Amino acid sequence: MAPPLSSLYTLSFLCALLITLFVGASLRLLAILPRARFQPTAIRRKPSPTRVLVVLGSGGHTHEMMYLLRALDPRTYTHRTYIVSSADSFSAARAREFERLLEDKIKDEQITRAIQKQSFQGMKEGNGVLRLEETEPGRPACVGPAHYDIAVIPRARKIHQSLLTTPFTALMTLLFSFKPLLSATPWIPDQAPQNAREAAARDLPDLILVNGPATAVIVVLASLILRFFNIKGANSRDKCKTVYVESFARVKTLSLSGKLLIKVVDRFIVQWEELEGKGGRAEFWGILV
Amino acid sequence: MAEISENPLSPDSKVCFVTTGATAPFTELIRSVLRPSSLDALGHAGYTHLLIQYGTARSVFQQSVEVAQAHLQSEGGKVALTIAGFDFDNNALKDQFKLVQDSKGLVISHAGSGTILAALRYQVPLVVVPNTSLLDNHQEELAAAMERSNYLLKGDVDNLDTVISTAEDFRVKMSQFPPITSGKHRETKSFGAIMDETLGFMD
Repeated sequence: MAPPLSSLYTLSFLCALLITLFVGASLRLLAILPRARFQPTAIRRKPSPTRVLVVLGSGGHTHEMMYLLRALDPRTYTHRTYIVSSADSFSAARAREFERLLEDKIKDEQITRAIQKQSFQGMKEGNGVLRLEETEPGRPACVGPAHYDIAVIPRARKIHQSLLTTPFTALMTLLFSFKPLLSATPWIPDQAPQNAREAAARDLPDLILVNGPATAVIVVLASLILRFFNIKGANSRDKCKTVYVESFARVKTLSLSGKLLIKVVDRFIVQWEELEGKGGRAEFWGILV
Repeated sequence: MAEISENPLSPDSKVCFVTTGATAPFTELIRSVLRPSSLDALGHAGYTHLLIQYGTARSVFQQSVEVAQAHLQSEGGKVALTIAGFDFDNNALKDQFKLVQDSKGLVISHAGSGTILAALRYQVPLVVVPNTSLLDNHQEELAAAMERSNYLLKGDVDNLDTVISTAEDFRVKMSQFPPITSGKHRETKSFGAIMDETLGFMD
């Protein structure tokens, strides 16, 4: 005969339960945490739509992130989501400016190409109208407001906020960071994805780029939780790869955010040689900003 | 900028631009650059204009300028230096850096990493002065490391005159920033390449 249910309410059972959970969680963590050194995984082909999530925060970090992103190719990174803290209008404005410049750059390229083609054909036909092609050769450049979104989440800690209340505000930040992680805000609300690129934008990010602000630590934590429980296949589909870039201003020691994240991000990049190999895994490829 | 237009720039102009940080202005730097020894060094190196962003430290700037003007007059116009100042700029100091670039001048700056990154993109000689009164701050380390890599010159508030003279030689031998190849690795990666590699895009 089965023992009465009340026998489960004992201290020893509680202990056994906690230990089982603890061991299980540890094993799971070990399974999802990255290896010491980054190793390139499965080779993908570039035409696959890719969503990248960029965490911006406070003046200096945002500046550096924008310098890092100057080589971003909108043909590969088809959707960009920028996470900014509430009341940080500066970072949101910088993200919009960056996207506008990206759009201008692509337009200039199209015009140059059209002129080149025209001058070639002009020799044969001689009509003076410049025609920009709607479809480009190869992969289209994904620029313009439909291809990026800016998500605002509450600040983890306000300046001069007491340390006592910080855990609560940080928890709020954590809760609010799940939404932009799970999906980008669609350009046209309530419309089902029309193509593979839109579907990728509504999916988990392929890549998460962070560089130092407190918000970044929390967003990385949220992405780990998604991987831990394999929500939307975050772990099994190899989504939410994280890259941390230590600030260019850090020459000899890591920042607090860096120390917190060095073991958990997929790649940890430093910009001064003296920091190479920190935590057994910091990579150095020269100054990147 | 209104003040500098009273004495418009000619092709012979040479501008020294000093930025002290907007939020917590580095008042020692304002005083130091307006000291007689610094003014003489600027005059000797052929500078015609000294432009200072003083942030919230307007009174320090005004006091120091009075002393500086008195010094310039007592020298009997041997050093013809136009001094102007402004508090803030909405365009991230782009116009000022351009002015220095066009006039083959010099930027003297506090050691904030943002200003360093912005100024170096104009390929102008840059002198940074770490603010040693700030606690637990990595300005000193960054400035020293950047100087070792030959990107800029590190100065301090007591020796601005010597570093202003050194800057003339430095102009021709400074390293390019951002570096095309840097570090010990032969195949230097751009951040774009790092992103691609992380996702397995190898083509």
